[in-house]
Amino acid sequence: MTAECPREAEVVSAVLLRRWPQEVDEDLRAHAGTCEVCGEVAVVASLLHEDHEAARAEVRVPAAGQVWWRAAVRARLEAAQAAGRPITWVHGLATASTLGLAIAVAGIVWPSLRESIGWATGAVAGLDPSTRALLRLLADVVQRSLPLALAIAACLVLAPLALYFVLADDRKN
Amino acid sequence: MRDAVLTDMERLGALDDAEQTFQMNEDAFRLFYDSTARPLWLYLARLTRDDRLADDLLQESYYRFLRAAAAFDDDEHRKNYLFRIATNLVHDHRRQVRSGGVPAEPGDPVDTRVESAEGVARRLDLARAMDQLKPRERALLWLAYAQGWSHAEIAASLGVRTASMKALLHRARRRLAALLRAPRPSGGRS
Repeated sequence: MTAECPREAEVVSAVLLRRWPQEVDEDLRAHAGTCEVCGEVAVVASLLHEDHEAARAEVRVPAAGQVWWRAAVRARLEAAQAAGRPITWVHGLATASTLGLAIAVAGIVWPSLRESIGWATGAVAGLDPSTRALLRLLADVVQRSLPLALAIAACLVLAPLALYFVLADDRKN
Repeated sequence: MRDAVLTDMERLGALDDAEQTFQMNEDAFRLFYDSTARPLWLYLARLTRDDRLADDLLQESYYRFLRAAAAFDDDEHRKNYLFRIATNLVHDHRRQVRSGGVPAEPGDPVDTRVESAEGVARRLDLARAMDQLKPRERALLWLAYAQGWSHAEIAASLGVRTASMKALLHRARRRLAALLRAPRPSGGRS
């Protein structure tokens, strides 16, 4: 149940206009002294309004221009992130497609590769000893230089990537 | 994924874009901000009892307000909408604190630098009593009696029916009055 008093609004208005209690009609003051609702409204509203007035004088808010500028920069940043999102999806899709294609190609090529290796092994077995020694020497050279070749290949792949990130960081700063 | 970052030139360009991105231009915003920022900050500070959080939520409220795709009838409507955003942000923050996502910070004490001893005691009593109210009760009482809003304005800002306002306000007021009458934990006022 809500206890109401028709004079409640008058009390609130007097408090908000800083007329309570000195500058209001004696009649209203007397009423608030006997009416439970209006008495309570007067106490609560006076305290809250007093707190509001005291605090309002001390409030320091940022300048409107500063809030506007921060909001503008954030909106731009969010727009940039939103624009970058589809590209990231496309990149992911392209990587997955490339990987899938590579696996499929490897699956297709593998039987013929095995066949070629078998043929090469047979051919080598049929060669004379001096040619076989030469081939063994070549295989040994390739085996020794494999880490170097892999390192060069890795550099060729990684260098453009590193260059991209360095330049992107420069742009950021 | 790399974070999107803006250069200084892009930041300057952002100001030009803002006119198209936001629902009002900078001049209109300045006028609106000057009339609402202080009451909004006080509202946020009283609801959260944390001045720094009030600063953050103030910025966030205006940002969301500027990005809103709503159509406003007048400044009154804009103001109610802004306070509605702020109220929701406070609720969201409280939910995050409860779920452990954000650490709860102790409330700032009432600033009492230039007040009389009696005034200080009254404000501290009020702060203690307000702390024990539910967030919605706090918001209702503050908007009604500190900022002097009408029931319709409060209803629009808090997202409650105007018809329920009288009962809700009455209940909140009764609770606050009872808490103010209760003795202070350390001795108390007569």
